[in-house]
Amino acid sequence: MDGTVLAHGLGGAKDLPIPVDMAVAGAVAALVISFSVLALAWRTPRYDASRGGLPLTVPPAATALSWVLRALGMAFFLYVAMAAVLGEDTLVNPVFGSFYVLLWVGIVPASLLFGPFFKAVSPARTLAMLVAKLTGAPADRGLLPYPERLGYWPAALTLFAFVWMELVFPHATQLGPVRLWFALYLGTMLIGSAVYGTTFLARADPFEVYSTLVGRLSVWGRRDGRLVVRSPLANLDATPVRPGLVAVVGVLLGSTAYDSFRESPTWLRVVQSLGIERAWPDTAALVVFTAGVTLVFAAATVATGVSDHQARRHLPDLFAHSVVPIIVGYMVAHYVNFFVEFGQRTLIDLSDPLTTGADYLGTGDWQINYWLSMHPTVLASTKVLAIVTGHVLGVVAAHDRAMKLLPRKHQLVGQLPLLFVMVGFTAGGLYLLFAS
Amino acid sequence: MPRRRLIAVAALTLTATLGLSACGGDDEPTTTPASPQGSAPTQSGEQSPDPGSGSEVEQSGTRIELTRTGDVFDPSGARVKVKRGEAVTLVIVSDTAGSLHVHSTPEQDVEYRQGTSTHEVVIDRPGVVEVESHDPDLVVLQLEVR
Repeated sequence: MDGTVLAHGLGGAKDLPIPVDMAVAGAVAALVISFSVLALAWRTPRYDASRGGLPLTVPPAATALSWVLRALGMAFFLYVAMAAVLGEDTLVNPVFGSFYVLLWVGIVPASLLFGPFFKAVSPARTLAMLVAKLTGAPADRGLLPYPERLGYWPAALTLFAFVWMELVFPHATQLGPVRLWFALYLGTMLIGSAVYGTTFLARADPFEVYSTLVGRLSVWGRRDGRLVVRSPLANLDATPVRPGLVAVVGVLLGSTAYDSFRESPTWLRVVQSLGIERAWPDTAALVVFTAGVTLVFAAATVATGVSDHQARRHLPDLFAHSVVPIIVGYMVAHYVNFFVEFGQRTLIDLSDPLTTGADYLGTGDWQINYWLSMHPTVLASTKVLAIVTGHVLGVVAAHDRAMKLLPRKHQLVGQLPLLFVMVGFTAGGLYLLFAS
Repeated sequence: MPRRRLIAVAALTLTATLGLSACGGDDEPTTTPASPQGSAPTQSGEQSPDPGSGSEVEQSGTRIELTRTGDVFDPSGARVKVKRGEAVTLVIVSDTAGSLHVHSTPEQDVEYRQGTSTHEVVIDRPGVVEVESHDPDLVVLQLEVR
């Protein structure tokens, strides 16, 4: 508020730790439910992307609507870009809230409600489509076909670049670095899509890949190109499997866990006693968390008997979709209060993007509602519920996939390592919420 | 079917084990965030040896002692539990003047001088509030406001 630039993350007070009894109750519930699923759930695969779901008739006006959405996404981007270029370098500049809160955290609720939300409004995609229109090339194909063996690896890399910027980089809340990051991002996306078409964006754009993945937990799906409404678990099962998917979910889950860890008093004492720039041990910890989650999960998926025609090395990516509900549960737990409160703050600040006293959007005189902060028990229960719900959905998704992939005699025992790892992720997540 | 029963039994056993071990394992850390025993911040709530001098409201608050020697703070990142709406008294002993930022919403600044100075901050919403020094950039305290 005082207009000085502080080398500190966004937001003021952070959430209180969750009470220990809630953390333990959550972990025990996760464990009991997991083994109940294993012991009692169905024995033949239930979800099948090629059937099921209620087909919807898309009205012709939908094409027009999609361009309206693109225009809105572009207008918002340009509005925030204006604040990024012409606005003051202070925390009341809405750039930071728009980037780290509305965009990054907002991807989760928006995609849960509307499916692949970012794809529909992405300025990078809109620009790529306009360029393709001007040159007369088909938008989805560029000069070269996208190398399929790269899969989602570029997105794992760009997602890491985002979370590093957000969680590690000491100057994450200064305009210069944010502008530079976004310019590099946009440049990479435009060059990539010029070469490989918009397919590149579906594999490399961190926001689009993340949003489309979370959108798999919405009710909106596609079957043979038709829009269908179906259960989120059936929708999740239809997630396309590509190389690197396991790294994408590893970066998303590991970085959220790291976000709790970095604020724990224990880690704080360690980094502050080292006497070196905090970014170094923080970078190391972020790598350990993201790579650790990826490797542990991958190891658990391959620790099973397989049939002759199933290559073991494909298993991590084949099971990776089951981490998506766990990610969403974590994200809700970590960011629900931050999103609600700093989101309000951002909407207020957006009305005066250049700090000139303007009130362009009419939101300038809103007051922030701190109800959630004032009710820590409600907040803590929400967090535990989100994590346990995500865990249960993840276990169910993994179980169904195991029924499909594993030979009959390995179907149950083959799931055990994965189940243990998932319980470990959930208990670890709860522990971090309790200890940070 | 025996396999199925076996798994059910295994499930129950594991549940019980984890339930127990979780309880056992989590008992210990509950004390960790409470207060940095033996280090500088003293939570001198009731034993404040100052019955004569007036205000009884402040007596129930928390008193935290901070020392700055050069670029080194003691404590450095300790977690202290405080009550919301109550005055937290920071006693700062420093060999240079400087300022601390209290990252509540809205932020509060504490400007301290060379020598010993006493400051009060009040935080009226629950949460964990970091008290930071800038130059050097360090988290000095985390106030766990309940």
